[in-house]
Amino acid sequence: MKRLAIVLSLLAATAALTAAGAQNQTDARLKRLFPAATTFSPKAGDPPHVKAYNGDTLLGYAFWTTEILPLERGYGGPIAIMVGMDTKGILSGLVIIEHHEPYGDFSIDPPSFAAQFKGKDVRDPFKLGEDIDAVSRATITMSSAVRTIRNSSRRIARAYLTPPSAASPSR
Amino acid sequence: MTIPGRRHFLFALGLSVLLAGGASSSLYVSRAYAQQPPASQELAAQEPAPQQPAAEGGGWDFEEEEEEETPTWADDIRAQALDIALVAGFSVLAFVSFFRKSVRLEYVTLVASVLILGVYKSLLISIVNVFGLLGGNLPIFRYNLAWYLLAVITLVSTVLWGRVYCGRICAFGAFTQLLDATLPARWRVNIPRAIERRAAWIKYGILTAVVAYFLITKNPLIYPYVEPFWMFGLHLRTPVLLTLLGTLLITTVFVRNAYCRFLCPLGAFLGIVSNLTVFRIKRWSECSTCRICEKKCEWGAIRGPKIVMTECVRCDDCERLYADEKKCPHHLILIRKADILARRAAQGRA
Repeated sequence: MKRLAIVLSLLAATAALTAAGAQNQTDARLKRLFPAATTFSPKAGDPPHVKAYNGDTLLGYAFWTTEILPLERGYGGPIAIMVGMDTKGILSGLVIIEHHEPYGDFSIDPPSFAAQFKGKDVRDPFKLGEDIDAVSRATITMSSAVRTIRNSSRRIARAYLTPPSAASPSR
Repeated sequence: MTIPGRRHFLFALGLSVLLAGGASSSLYVSRAYAQQPPASQELAAQEPAPQQPAAEGGGWDFEEEEEEETPTWADDIRAQALDIALVAGFSVLAFVSFFRKSVRLEYVTLVASVLILGVYKSLLISIVNVFGLLGGNLPIFRYNLAWYLLAVITLVSTVLWGRVYCGRICAFGAFTQLLDATLPARWRVNIPRAIERRAAWIKYGILTAVVAYFLITKNPLIYPYVEPFWMFGLHLRTPVLLTLLGTLLITTVFVRNAYCRFLCPLGAFLGIVSNLTVFRIKRWSECSTCRICEKKCEWGAIRGPKIVMTECVRCDDCERLYADEKKCPHHLILIRKADILARRAAQGRA
């Protein structure tokens, strides 16, 4: 009985540590997307997102592509990407969280892939070979990753941001 | 065609319909997801300023709306036209070479496979896709028409003729067959038939093991350890993988096509499917005693009078022999019979 209790408490401790580790990792990623942020809201809403604040000012939204578009798939399954977007619809960056793409190592894993999206407007076309660099031999992976970033950003923009068309209809 | 043949053909149709159905149902679900009602009241109340977005597009005026709302199939197809054309063109070449039993065209196909499907596009059917079939993680149909064309050709051709995919479509198989053709024949080690037969089962063991691994862990990342063709990406450079690849390539110099014959889990999967093969290689009655084709077959797929469909990759070697009137006993015996009859007739007349 005592032994069982020890094992159970050890298990619980491991689970707690793992959860804490995951939370730390998430916090670090959020900080990477919004370096100026002081606090982050808990994840909430539909589509789900985290809000980044500097004091009381809302800096933007962070969201997980797989939570917004769970059915999007690359070659080996869903590609989980965490995206940051400011209140004007400009992407502040993205972090590749998890994927099972055989050619991920030279398509979406290199930092140069994520770097292309920093500063992109949600209204940009997000087209491979046009405003996003295409990678030969990894078409399925690349097109799925870009599609999921574009469509999840657009869904967040549509749900939470003020459309700028009233102010500048020309854009 | 015989009745069982027709049943197999229906099975082939069923399989391809299933595959296409799976793809379209995933599309249907994604559309259904898009129509889910928006935020629940409770969560919406937490929003700082819930600006009601306008009904259509929320006033964002995106250049191109999300895929679920405005289907632009024409655009999607146009964007993939080059890839689709490449796969279609290559498949035509592969099947023309297959039906004409032409040696020259077969080598053209193998070179084209390595260059187009391997190096240029890396369009592959992989064990990852078998995992995808089991876990519902296949690429999305609409955006990957070229890959689906290849996948359907692979499945349907396997049911109709056997492992044609392994014999002349798969870029890695093409690569090792070209190695076999270029490397000196004297380096070749012909392993004893008894060992060869047992070794052919290894691939089924690997298939079972990786599928079990996937089903237990839900993690498909086992593939680089069992599939060397990801090296076309030239990116997986861990010491373990490089050692595995090096060992395999050195082995292939001596035991030709070793990977395809003994190790490939996808080949094992197609081997299981090929039990259904509709149009099998015909055999002469003389085949029960003659061993020429059995000796010639580099894939160890002929055992006495029988062709083992699970090992056969439809390389055409034996079929070319059947047609060879100077080598195949079937023709030699017929010719000799004709000669004897002619001689007798001549004698009778004399």
